[in-house]
Amino acid sequence: MDLARLVWRNLGRRKLRTTLTMASLVVAFFLLCTLRSLVTTLQSGADAASASRLIVQSAVSLFVDLPQSYQSKIATVEGIEHMSKWQWFGGYYQEPRNRFAQFAVDPEETLTIYPEMQVIDGSVEDFYANRRGVLIGEGLVEQFGWKVGDTVPILPELFPHPDGVGVAWEFQVAAVYRPTQRNFDAKMFMFHWDYFEDTVKAGSGEAPGVGTYILKLAQGVEPTSVMASVDALFENGPQRVQATSESEFQKQFVTMFGNVPFFVSTIGGGVLIAILLAVINTMLMAGREQTHDIGIMKALGFSDGDVVRVLAQQSLLICVLGGALGIGLAKLAEPGIADAVGAMFGGYEVKRGTMLFGAALTVALGVFAGFAPAWRAARLQTVDALASKD
Amino acid sequence: MTARLNARSTDPHAPPAAARGLANQTNPMGQGIDLQRVTKTYSRGGETLRVLDELDLAMEAGHFYALMGPSGSGKTTLLNLIGALDSPDSGHVVVGGEDISRLGRGELADWRAANVGFVFQGFNLIPVLSALENVSLPLALTPLSRSQRRERAEYALELVGLADRMSHRPRQLSGGQEQRCAIARAIVTDPAFLLADEPTGDLDRESADQVLELLRRLNSDLGKTILMVTHDPHAAESAQRVVQLDKGRLLGVTDRAEAAH
Repeated sequence: MDLARLVWRNLGRRKLRTTLTMASLVVAFFLLCTLRSLVTTLQSGADAASASRLIVQSAVSLFVDLPQSYQSKIATVEGIEHMSKWQWFGGYYQEPRNRFAQFAVDPEETLTIYPEMQVIDGSVEDFYANRRGVLIGEGLVEQFGWKVGDTVPILPELFPHPDGVGVAWEFQVAAVYRPTQRNFDAKMFMFHWDYFEDTVKAGSGEAPGVGTYILKLAQGVEPTSVMASVDALFENGPQRVQATSESEFQKQFVTMFGNVPFFVSTIGGGVLIAILLAVINTMLMAGREQTHDIGIMKALGFSDGDVVRVLAQQSLLICVLGGALGIGLAKLAEPGIADAVGAMFGGYEVKRGTMLFGAALTVALGVFAGFAPAWRAARLQTVDALASKD
Repeated sequence: MTARLNARSTDPHAPPAAARGLANQTNPMGQGIDLQRVTKTYSRGGETLRVLDELDLAMEAGHFYALMGPSGSGKTTLLNLIGALDSPDSGHVVVGGEDISRLGRGELADWRAANVGFVFQGFNLIPVLSALENVSLPLALTPLSRSQRRERAEYALELVGLADRMSHRPRQLSGGQEQRCAIARAIVTDPAFLLADEPTGDLDRESADQVLELLRRLNSDLGKTILMVTHDPHAAESAQRVVQLDKGRLLGVTDRAEAAH
């Protein structure tokens, strides 16, 4: 018989209460890890952004297009090695719930600017050669079962097809890429700017604007000087621009949805405080119920430190077990959640750091929740404890 | 129970209790219990109650004492002071040569673990542990290995006649069995002193007699010094000497053998 067994048996003293407390810990740590993973996923997009890539957008808003004529002017700024036009297409496949990021781009420039896209099926040449060709991420292959050569109809919401409203744009899968970085979006759909422009013109008679210009800087070029030069080009109009680093752009993009990290972190903090109070309450009740046993232990010669250890270990055990199950559940649910939130939180992952953070929190919670009953037990007079009723 | 203890002690193949570690510490430093001008008060509802009033009392090692007196006479308080469960307001409590009234909290816990075994009226077994686990619990404070602890706890349970109840939880035992289990726990660390507070108070006559017989044998066979608080004159007949208390003062100590003559 050792004290570890007593700790374990005490957990079984009120099985329903222990089970419910552990269940609430499982839910709380599942939520904490999932919410934290959402935040880190958002932040990792910015963290993983290349320092040598700049984004040029309208100074008014990301939703205001820039003229195509700006491309040649921007190209005159020293230090820019490659540049591509990008436009958000904003359509869906078959049903409105099937949304993912579709962009009209300059194909060759884009693949040069983004070496993170490694073509694993079809070929880059086929993509370049086919006007309706589209380069898709392998995440879309997994989601919709598309393969190279398939014709994919995309129903537009921003750029109607010239044949009428409700008519789909048709693309042909030319190549599939796999991101070389985990936090790079694996569900992008990129097609030829020329095809996009000609089709739009055929309908409206006007060339489409550019959502953003993506710039790739030459090695060793100072990004801030390029940003300042680009901004200066259009200071007097007709439309002012804002050149930012890719990292800054990612952060701005996230804040378009409000301060998501703050919001999510606040919910996580609330969950943590609620569960802390619940566990403290449980441990205080358990401690009170065990007052008589504490008296017995002290009468047998166990020290105040021994009874503190028993109660603290009970608290730790319940928190660590519940927390570990919650963290494990968050990891198990990772693929499902990644699929569900992939459109907004591309590259969702419950990282090792998040799991370690959760593990540290379970220990801290266990120690904190066990402190009050353990402190009370240590201060109990043996005769008073023995006189208490079960 | 007597037959069982005798059988143990006469079985040539069974190891003696001393060899199993339950009868080694019978008379530490050859000294018993000496209380010198011990006073203990309690505050209840703003009123101070003097439970023990400058009590002087000496008890010899190796004897079986019954502490008797009306309710509120200070019997249990005296037992708690001797067992280091409580501290006197003034005076000295010397047990086995050690003035325990001078010891700190931690030292008292160590002293209890090494020198005293308790038997309570309400048995005070831990309900989530089996009989064997309850008995081996105090051994967690010793340097014995796990197998040694188990062997010793099993032997203590055999000694009290509970060899076939080792895996039972307290609620699966009768009152008498619970008390015998508590006695096994009290002797498993081989303490010199056994302190019993109304050990038969919650038992029927048959179970009470079994427990009293067991205590007598522990005194006579294993040499334990036993102090038993009781209201029951029949229970007090098991003791060699009877200490009478009233209102926190000593009325007298009677040697039953001498009184019989």
